[in-house]
Amino acid sequence: MDEIIRLDNVTKVYDGGTQALGGVTLSLKDEWTTIVGPSGSGKTTLLNVIGCLDTPTTGTVHIAGKTVTGVNKAELTKLRRKHIGLVFQQYHLVPYLTALENVMLAQYYYGTTDEAKVVNALKNVGLGHRLDHLPAHLSGGEQQRVCIARALINEPTILLADEPTGNLDQTNGQAVLELIQNLREAGHAIVLVTHNQDIVKLGDRTIRIVDGTVAWDSALGGGDHGEQ
Amino acid sequence: MGIISVLMGAAVLTALLTVSLSVSDNIGQEFTKYGANLILQPQSNRIEIGLPGVGMGSVTEQRYINESDLWMIKTQQMGAKVIGFSPFLYQVVRVDNGSATQDAVLAGTYFNKTIQIPHPVPPQNLETVSTSVADVSPWWKVTGKWITDQNDTSSVMVGSKVAQNLGISIGQSLKVSYAGDQNGTAQTKTRDLTVVGIIDSGGSEDSQIFTNLPVAQDLSSRPGKVHTVQVSALCNACPVEDIAAAIKEKLPYVEGTSIKQLTTVEANTLAKYQDMMGLVTGITLIASMLGIFTTMTANVVERRREIGLMKSIGADNRSVALLFLTEAAITGLVGSIAGFAVGIVLAQFIGLNVFATSIPVRWEVLAVVIPVSIGTSLLASALPVRRATSIEPAIVLRGE
Repeated sequence: MDEIIRLDNVTKVYDGGTQALGGVTLSLKDEWTTIVGPSGSGKTTLLNVIGCLDTPTTGTVHIAGKTVTGVNKAELTKLRRKHIGLVFQQYHLVPYLTALENVMLAQYYYGTTDEAKVVNALKNVGLGHRLDHLPAHLSGGEQQRVCIARALINEPTILLADEPTGNLDQTNGQAVLELIQNLREAGHAIVLVTHNQDIVKLGDRTIRIVDGTVAWDSALGGGDHGEQ
Repeated sequence: MGIISVLMGAAVLTALLTVSLSVSDNIGQEFTKYGANLILQPQSNRIEIGLPGVGMGSVTEQRYINESDLWMIKTQQMGAKVIGFSPFLYQVVRVDNGSATQDAVLAGTYFNKTIQIPHPVPPQNLETVSTSVADVSPWWKVTGKWITDQNDTSSVMVGSKVAQNLGISIGQSLKVSYAGDQNGTAQTKTRDLTVVGIIDSGGSEDSQIFTNLPVAQDLSSRPGKVHTVQVSALCNACPVEDIAAAIKEKLPYVEGTSIKQLTTVEANTLAKYQDMMGLVTGITLIASMLGIFTTMTANVVERRREIGLMKSIGADNRSVALLFLTEAAITGLVGSIAGFAVGIVLAQFIGLNVFATSIPVRWEVLAVVIPVSIGTSLLASALPVRRATSIEPAIVLRGE
């Protein structure tokens, strides 16, 4: 497996002095990595840094072989477009755009729009019959599937998912997890943040973050399997 | 809210511009309602008289303007600005209504006179011009009716004081006599005239009687002659003396005297009106910009997550700015068109209530209002858009 993401001694200190990451060193491959840890431990900050949504205070980040530390915001945006797909707990669909348009929006920013490809992507997540529906007319599970279709439409190198089933009932949660499993089998690198121990078991690797540092990494072995 | 701000700004701008454009023409016409603003007289030489060492004052040689030259008033360089003119030939006559007599000044003038222009000149290329004493004396209050036919030689209009003194009423017949010198022989000419209207002007006209010019010329045997010409010139803040000078070029023996006080007031009022227009428009546009700024800022704050999301899925600052600026431009466009419609109604209201005149739709105003409104919207959106582009995409995951 190839190294997709590498973090060397990454720290993140927010304005006001709060330290969210305190020297994280990680190497992630094209597999399903699950990040766990208590609330406020720095999981989301880690995801932001990996997703080029935020920059570290110190340390270096490499995404798909490129060093992203020190590049300007415009370059970060380009990297994000090309390499990162994001799945959010709150779905974050644009409320006045249909399911089809929400997915096409990501294509638009990427620079090309291909409606047939979007229709196909939505069919693949089981929403071929919901193309023209606004988010308000979709269930939570359906909205999350639109979010996954949007994250994947530009064929990113890495899929970052922040509690993707956190707002879903068991049936819908299961459907979303099946989609993610399919993506792993298709060769996508997945980094998923969750509190759910059942989801942890589905991943290839688990990393536990506590107080902004890596407390346990299943790839390195250890005893607690990332329990919180 | 933003569109309401644009609409209000555009409505006021439309109303003021429409009124300004229409009324700057109208205002001149309004002022000319006060009467002629230029009086033409023949140039005359003063002759000092007296005995050696004893001055006895001066006499003025009696001169006339040739009626046949009057068409030139409309063909001079600024002829288009001449709304109307009317010549006057004066003579003292004896008015007899059968029961009483009184001396009065008879003024021969034009009533709906059509003048042939022998040499039309561009850009007007007029072949005929119609003018009337009513054009230079619009303030006359007439009981009965005006003389309407230029060939009517049997009707007379009588000043209110003459009518009062002689107990004249409409439809009454008058004997009008002029005693003058004809080829060295004393001669009296008499005309029977029917009173068609009584004039109340509040001025010297109340002691005069008016007929078509040929009647007066015939009575005093001065065919083709007039004493003075009153000119009503439409002059928007331009010196009426320029028109007088242009007439003098055509008619070198004529002296033009402007009624300065009137024209100065006209120019000052117009200038003040335009200053006020500029001030109100400026204040309105600033208020409109504040409204748009507030709305856009609230819009950006409300949509922080949406902006963060767009950035997180690949939107750059240019795309975010373009989104909000496009919204601002559409707001400006829609607001300007709606504001134009409201402004037309407002302009009518101002026109009818302030200037007592209806204001026509000026489509050229739309060509100003649309770009000004869009420009105002874009300018007012500059800071909110800057704020939008500074939103970090990380807020989406942080759940802020």
